[in-house]
Amino acid sequence: MREKLSSAWLVGDFFTYRHRLSGRVDVRYNKLAAQLNDPTSSFLELEDAYVSNVEHPADIVASYTSAIFRKDNITAVVIANQEDGLLREQTYGSYFGTYLRELFITVPSFEITGYIRLSGKMDLRTVLTTGTDAFIPVLDGEMRSSIRPEVFFTGGAILVNKNQIGVFCLEAEKE
Amino acid sequence: MAKILVIDDEADLLEMMRLVLQQRGGHQVVLSAEGHDGLAKAMSSPPDLAIIDVMMPGITGYEICRQLRANPDTASISIMILTARAQPMDRDAAIAAGADDYMTKPVIMAELLERVNALLERRTEQPPGLSGTFALMSLRGGVGVTTLAVNLAAALTQTRAETVCLVDLCPSSGHVALHLGLRPEPNWSAIIGTGDASALDAESIATYLLQHSSGLRVLASPFVPLAGQGVSQKAVMAVFNILQQQFSTIVVDAPSTLDGATMAVLEAASALGMVLTAEPPSLQTAIGTLRALSQWSPKLHAIVNQVTPGPQLPAEAIARALKHPVAATIAFDPSQARALAQGTPLALGSSDSPLAQAARSLVQAFGR
Repeated sequence: MREKLSSAWLVGDFFTYRHRLSGRVDVRYNKLAAQLNDPTSSFLELEDAYVSNVEHPADIVASYTSAIFRKDNITAVVIANQEDGLLREQTYGSYFGTYLRELFITVPSFEITGYIRLSGKMDLRTVLTTGTDAFIPVLDGEMRSSIRPEVFFTGGAILVNKNQIGVFCLEAEKE
Repeated sequence: MAKILVIDDEADLLEMMRLVLQQRGGHQVVLSAEGHDGLAKAMSSPPDLAIIDVMMPGITGYEICRQLRANPDTASISIMILTARAQPMDRDAAIAAGADDYMTKPVIMAELLERVNALLERRTEQPPGLSGTFALMSLRGGVGVTTLAVNLAAALTQTRAETVCLVDLCPSSGHVALHLGLRPEPNWSAIIGTGDASALDAESIATYLLQHSSGLRVLASPFVPLAGQGVSQKAVMAVFNILQQQFSTIVVDAPSTLDGATMAVLEAASALGMVLTAEPPSLQTAIGTLRALSQWSPKLHAIVNQVTPGPQLPAEAIARALKHPVAATIAFDPSQARALAQGTPLALGSSDSPLAQAARSLVQAFGR
């Protein structure tokens, strides 16, 4: 009796500079990471959106049956389960030959810590500039308010908008 | 078999809930796919347990929770919040709204059934509500009187929120409101501090009571310490006479003095909780207090608070020194510092914490 109630919808916390929107995305045909990284669309649709200010993130100030984001204005997306935040090709079996590096990222209003999965020699510029993916997955991440450090969000994966990153730091590789 | 109301706008989840709770759990299940409809169903026929989603069109689960707690007919039902908002502050928000438990989606049905049964079990184990006036006091400060008074009152609201009033009688900026995350405005300074009790009635006193989201009513003490002659005994007793008619249970955070007003309240109380810690100065003060209040010895309960592991006087030795039985021993709870910072008493926010359990055992101790 360990069945989980799963559906074609994925619930996540979507952050902009000032707001937290909790809502669900249709992931029947495309995983969330694929939709965020799809260069042919500038928008992301959210259903049942619940809006909070990041200063008081537990207080729901408004709710709407649908909302549309400009993807370039999304700072980050916090997802509870790691696999839900990864691209299909980043999941099953793809961790062979890769390693995890601890990181620290700043984005507007938040500081993010967690791990990034890498393969081969690491070059920060490569991570930030190579490829067409606009969002990078931070695994086992914690996103903390820069202004109110007692406010933080955790998730199995945090998808961070590369264009919103101010500082990107990596811990030394551990043997 | 318990009656369980599930309010969630996800049709698939509702159907799964019915299967699990009804067929596997053997409970009677009522479903509602809309927040206002669910609230109306709860009000018209209160269930034993309500499982409520947070994110629903029209009304949030938090608001439903608050409305259920504010209504005398539904104030005591068990409430579980079920939500995809899975962050720590969301859990705190659910508990502050009055929920007993919190679970995140996606739901593992075996865990849900376990948690539901645990909640229902806790409900049947809950001590009956107390009736009367219960004063907690210590003539030595810093032993946790306010913390215990707040948590005792909070524990009592779990059964009969609408009938419990917490009174902060400390004239030197009492901290009851702070523990509850409330602003101490209005407070009793205008009625007790001035001694003008002639025009007091139930209606006028009601305007001075703060309303906590749990349903608890609070008569706060002023933020600015009262200077001068102290509180008026006549006014204090006038207030208590009225409160005792309005509330079946009154918990008093009594000041660290034995002035006329305090003595009058202690005399009127059904039971006194004398709080001490297992250290010599506190013990010495407690011995002196017992002598000063010897006339009320039968209703006086010694409560040893903030007990930490390590070399400390055992309760038996304390009882021997006091020549009075120790009614309760309460372990130091490090999570109290966080609870104070958040303004959510542990008896409401972390019902499994040692202090919350101690508050429930205090209810039983006073009940004896």
